[in-house]
Amino acid sequence: MTFSAIFGAWIAAFLTLGIFSYLYKDNPFYKIAEHVFVGISAAYVAAISFWTQIYPNLFGRLFPKDGPFSFTGLEFDFNHEFNILYLFPLILGLMMLLSVFQQFNWMARWGIAYTVAIAAGLKAFGYLNSNVLNQVKASSVDLFSGSLPFFSLGGDSVFNNIVLLIGTISSLMYFYFSKEQTGNFGRFTRLGIYFLMVSFGASFGFAVMGRISLLIGRFNDLIEYSSVDYNYGTFYVLLFIIIVLGFWSFKNREK
Amino acid sequence: MKFLEDIILKLGAVDRRFIFLLIGLAVLIPLLTPITLPVRETPTTVKFYEGIDNIPKNSKVLVSFDYGPSTRPEIHPMNVGVMRHMLRNGHKIYISCLWPDGIYMALDALEEITDSVNPDNQSTFDIKEYEDYILLGYRPGAEAVIKGLASDLRKVYTVDAKGRFIDDIEMMDEIQNLNDFAYIYSGSAGYPGTFEWVKYGGDPTGVPMSSGTTSVQVNEVIPYVQTGQLIGLLAGMPGAAEYEKLIASPGIAIQGMAAQSFAHIVIVIFIVFGNLAFFIKQRRDRKY
Repeated sequence: MTFSAIFGAWIAAFLTLGIFSYLYKDNPFYKIAEHVFVGISAAYVAAISFWTQIYPNLFGRLFPKDGPFSFTGLEFDFNHEFNILYLFPLILGLMMLLSVFQQFNWMARWGIAYTVAIAAGLKAFGYLNSNVLNQVKASSVDLFSGSLPFFSLGGDSVFNNIVLLIGTISSLMYFYFSKEQTGNFGRFTRLGIYFLMVSFGASFGFAVMGRISLLIGRFNDLIEYSSVDYNYGTFYVLLFIIIVLGFWSFKNREK
Repeated sequence: MKFLEDIILKLGAVDRRFIFLLIGLAVLIPLLTPITLPVRETPTTVKFYEGIDNIPKNSKVLVSFDYGPSTRPEIHPMNVGVMRHMLRNGHKIYISCLWPDGIYMALDALEEITDSVNPDNQSTFDIKEYEDYILLGYRPGAEAVIKGLASDLRKVYTVDAKGRFIDDIEMMDEIQNLNDFAYIYSGSAGYPGTFEWVKYGGDPTGVPMSSGTTSVQVNEVIPYVQTGQLIGLLAGMPGAAEYEKLIASPGIAIQGMAAQSFAHIVIVIFIVFGNLAFFIKQRRDRKY
């Protein structure tokens, strides 16, 4: 095992246990891990976005090899041809960056307006097609075709289709507020609430399962780092954190 | 009866740190002393398996790594399993990433399935870059990237992850956009991921696609399976475990299922006691 691998494992164990230490209470180890995470994430995303997008796709098109600006010495060879249209994203991007200066922060609005408009236009079609039309189409089920079994736990069946139909309509009706939800209509919308409750319960169950999966992942790594190959990294780091936290709690016991 | 109620009330008011400790132990102990629990395939996983199995042999498939280290335990086993399944069927894999750290996840997954790196593993392959797979890398822009891939891949990717010109790579010769792939798979942990691939990749092009998602997303993604917009779904770690069983390549997901089950039992017990304590307290408060 190389020194860098062992060192990396110790750092990983320290940061993981530092985050876990929050379960005891907010403390300096948690703060260190949190700040390191936020700082590294921001820097990493900024660096990788520059080198994978701005550098090849923007500079590569504005300053290609043998392009009109070659005489300046600025040349980025990514097999692109010169494209003047890419000047607009460059200008809008610079305008967004100028928002750090108070007298120029109005300029950022142009870039933001462009981004919002593009995103809205792009998303409108996607949502309408995939989330509305296709879902409405799929909820138009055939109840009496005769080709389906009456009941099936896993697959399509008449019973499941009836549940789907009633569940969809009653849940939608719950959000219809132009009529008072009393009488038969109220009873039907209450059925909708039960369907929604089942859905929320399933979401909660899945959310718990997801968190436990992540915990399993961290524990697997901690177990690996506690081996002799990593010089028992997890144990030493855990011991260090417990001692320091104990001392820190003792010093701050009045708080 | 009062004695029992008092115990339940005490359990309902237990310090939260005690609950954390118990859940921690419920996860840790099965990991230290592996217990194998039976894994039963759900219809969505079987559909997913069949979807990948039915891709015509030696096809070109796009695999997207849309997750990072934080969700690695759930998605990574799925992506490794999917790539194993695809390589067994002779497919050529084109890897894209919508998440910045997806590129490292892809490199890790490739290492896991490469013969030369893991000579002792039975489920590895003699794969070569630019022949069996290509790592296109990460591009920022989320749905805009997918939209770009759907219209002209070469505008989005001019170079691959190693900086090699796409035009100079023979494996890319017949690839112009998403329509040139036989299948799209996204291992997704959130935004951008499955939703964006369905809306801007699968639906507009008609290329069959499937996805593996984190448990948190399952409830929102599952309607896409019923509409046929996704061919099956791997739902969180259990989905990954079921898939590992189907491809007969047991891995970390199957190992983790015992820990999952025990942790859930502890959580359910505390939910039951918490509710019982709530109702007992409510009744006593009403009485006095």
